[in-house]
Amino acid sequence: MNETPLLEVGELALSYAGVPALHGVSFRVGRGRVAGIVGESGSGKSTLGAAILRLLPPSARVTGGNIRFDGRDLLALSPGEMRALRGTRVSFISQDPLRALIPTLSIGRQMSDIQYRRSGGRQRKRRRAAEMLERVGVPEPEQRLRAYPHELSGGQRQRVSIAMAMMMRPDLLIADEPTTALDATLEAQIVTLLRELQAEAGCAMIFVTHDLGLLPELCDEVVVMERGEVRETGPVGRVLNAPASDYTRMLVRCDPARVAEKTRRLPTRSGSWKASDPPWLGPPERIRRGEPPVLAVEGLEVTFRRRSWLRGALGTRGDFVVRAVRGASFRVEQGETVAIVGESGSGKTTIARSIVGLQKSERGSIAVGGTDVTGLPPRALKALRRKVAMMFQDPVGSLSPRFRVGRLVTEPMVIHGIPTRDRRGEAVRLLDLVGLDASFADRYPHELSGGQARRVGVARALSSSPELVVADEPTAGLDLSIQGELLNLLAEIQESIGLAILIITHNLAVVRHISDRTIVMHRGEFVEQGTTETLFRSPRHEYTRRLLAASRHEPGESQVKASARTGDLDGETP
Amino acid sequence: MLLFVLRRILLGLLIVLLAVTTLYCLVQAAPGNPIDILLGPRGSPAMKAALEARLGLDQPLPVQIVKFFGSLLEGDLGLDIKTKRPVAELVLERLPKTIALLAASLLFASALGIPLGCFAATHRDSIADRIVGVASVSVISIPPLIIAIYGLLLFAAWLKWLPAVGAGDRGDLADQIYHLVLPTLAVALNWIGYVARLVRASMLEILNEDYIRNARAFGLGEGRVVFRYALRIAVAPTVTVLGIGVGYMLGSAIFAEIVFARPGIGKLIYDALLVRNYPVIMGSVLASTVILVVATTVSDILNALIDPRIRQGQEA
Ligand SMILES: Nc1ncnc2c1ncn2[C@@H]1O[C@H](COP(=O)(O)OP(=O)(O)O)[C@@H](O)[C@H]1O
Ligand SMILES: [Mg+2]
Repeated sequence: MNETPLLEVGELALSYAGVPALHGVSFRVGRGRVAGIVGESGSGKSTLGAAILRLLPPSARVTGGNIRFDGRDLLALSPGEMRALRGTRVSFISQDPLRALIPTLSIGRQMSDIQYRRSGGRQRKRRRAAEMLERVGVPEPEQRLRAYPHELSGGQRQRVSIAMAMMMRPDLLIADEPTTALDATLEAQIVTLLRELQAEAGCAMIFVTHDLGLLPELCDEVVVMERGEVRETGPVGRVLNAPASDYTRMLVRCDPARVAEKTRRLPTRSGSWKASDPPWLGPPERIRRGEPPVLAVEGLEVTFRRRSWLRGALGTRGDFVVRAVRGASFRVEQGETVAIVGESGSGKTTIARSIVGLQKSERGSIAVGGTDVTGLPPRALKALRRKVAMMFQDPVGSLSPRFRVGRLVTEPMVIHGIPTRDRRGEAVRLLDLVGLDASFADRYPHELSGGQARRVGVARALSSSPELVVADEPTAGLDLSIQGELLNLLAEIQESIGLAILIITHNLAVVRHISDRTIVMHRGEFVEQGTTETLFRSPRHEYTRRLLAASRHEPGESQVKASARTGDLDGETP
Repeated sequence: MLLFVLRRILLGLLIVLLAVTTLYCLVQAAPGNPIDILLGPRGSPAMKAALEARLGLDQPLPVQIVKFFGSLLEGDLGLDIKTKRPVAELVLERLPKTIALLAASLLFASALGIPLGCFAATHRDSIADRIVGVASVSVISIPPLIIAIYGLLLFAAWLKWLPAVGAGDRGDLADQIYHLVLPTLAVALNWIGYVARLVRASMLEILNEDYIRNARAFGLGEGRVVFRYALRIAVAPTVTVLGIGVGYMLGSAIFAEIVFARPGIGKLIYDALLVRNYPVIMGSVLASTVILVVATTVSDILNALIDPRIRQGQEA
């Protein structure tokens, strides 16, 4: 190994409008090797990737260090020389597949455009594009070339991005969290695809992620980053099994997939939890099986119709009907946590929206505390609705940025007409419940960190004193340490005030620890439900088995090995 | 796409229908009526009744409106109360002048505003960007009437570079264009500023998008990325605003036509309003509504051409 590495980053320092984002970052990537860059959000991973391609926003300034690619100093190249490298020798895949492609141009046009350096006419370029699409597993490539990005599903769009990045056979591929926006089954497929393509092309790859579980699947070396600094670099096995830095140890510890025993209290960054602690499952009397249950759903059916009046008038085609939920029945007891899992598009969120009254159902009943709410007059409904609160994915981002936290938190009380003499006092009480002090009441949403914002979201959900909280993807996009904090907080509140929780998620690693019962949903139907232990230990339905296999449910088990067993999951709907 | 166009045209017709009905009611509700003006203070009640019956003003409002639409379908807009000429003829004679003024203004505003905005966005925070910024804001804040009057005084009265009044000789294209310069300046100057600000803002937003960075990461040249990809998406909101803006431009065009004594629709409306000349008011307002609806429809269709999501009836 005495040849020069393909990429060598030395003491790179960079700032955005004077605020430092990278402090002396150094690492190297050998030819044909795969380096993983891991770290929590804001640690500078994307900045690093963009810096290598010299595609930083105008406010960014490199303040020191160098980037050598194949012996050349990238920072010293002219814009023209840099452009000559992009796409051919270094290429890039971005995180959010929904924003990765030009929305106004067809896939074929975009894939032909990037071949501008190649010989051949339009037909030949399109043929090459179709072949590449075929290679990355896009069905009917000829037709897809004519499609626009919005006509493809998220997974397909990410495949197109990968096809485009690999089409010029680069020496280095930089993939910035290419699977973070996808659900577990798709993630497994994309990771497998990347690994195959990388091996085929023999190119080097930088794989950016915040998910430790993906590292052993793909990477040879790992670079651990925190706050713009490299904490640790080394071979993947050594870094994960015998971390040298405290930060890496914390990351490894916080991964719920690595906690072998079921526990309701997940490890967090600051928490005193140790692997040797006995698993903590909460007091057994927490769940009170009484009649009536907090929530009982019977034979729920929800159908979406997209009606086009002109189409109807011209009689060209009938209504477009999607049966999103097909006969769902389940109940949630007092103090119980129930999880509904499934891929995106399987109907989970539709069920949640029906329960809180945001979605009209076609058939079936939804009983809250024994009273059916589906046919109730609005006034009677209002009193019952208070008992069920929804916690949204992005609880603060979806609210008005102009109101202070104190007002946001107590807003549901006003909506539900709950008399309050002292709104500020209520706000402080709710904030205290979620572990935030009174001063937070005066802050604006943009002054909160990610974890604090989630806490405010919990406080807001609790403000109408509900008996059931419906949480839609509460952990989506959260760093592991914050995720643990949030879930522990919910578990604590659950015990102290006897709350029932319905969690909608595709994060199976989390479900295994925190939920009492689990329901598996696939294409609008419940394929299996049971206690979480039974379901994870001995899944009966074929689909449950595939879902579990794709999500690294056993610590130490290789995900890709597992997903090799899954075959092709075709649950994707555009 | 065909479906989209059909739908937009249907919607356009509906808007014309609504606008005309509303206007009919408004004009009738306004104080003053043509009978009094035509007959003067000495008209006898019998004369009034006779004239009312002849003009159809003695019938209930809904009947009048239905009749109005009925004759509209036959291309009949009634007779000018004063000159007894068919209103349709009058409107068609004036319409091209106004359309020429509006088209020239749109062209002028976009031909200058779009490149300026694009330049400012790609040279963000440079001195040139600042100058464009200050210039557009100042230009936006001058009322069109002031531009018209000062333009007239400066270029026509003092420097004598440009003609002061009229629309130019019939059949002499060069002379007509020559006469169009000052009114166009008055109507469009604001819009150069608006368009430049708007294009700059949406360009900055689009240039920040992931897909633009990705396009650069594939090694595509700046020219293609900025002009063929980003600008095309960034002009979409501007096209919409300009479509609606034709309404405002019509307002400015009235001033410009009065100041420069240009015989267009705006001048026609103004003169007719002074004497409550109902048929002429209705005819010319109908014409301007049609202009407006055509403009918004065209802008929607342009947007649909730019963005496939709109074409397919999804929101962008
Ligand atoms: N365009 C930008 N302008 C200013 N600051 C930025 C910009 N992009 C990223 N940052 C800051 O740089 C740091 C690193 O961000 P980023 O590279 O996106 O981290 P990661 O990809 O690891 O989540 C963060 O503190 C972030 O706020
Ligand atoms: Mg990032």
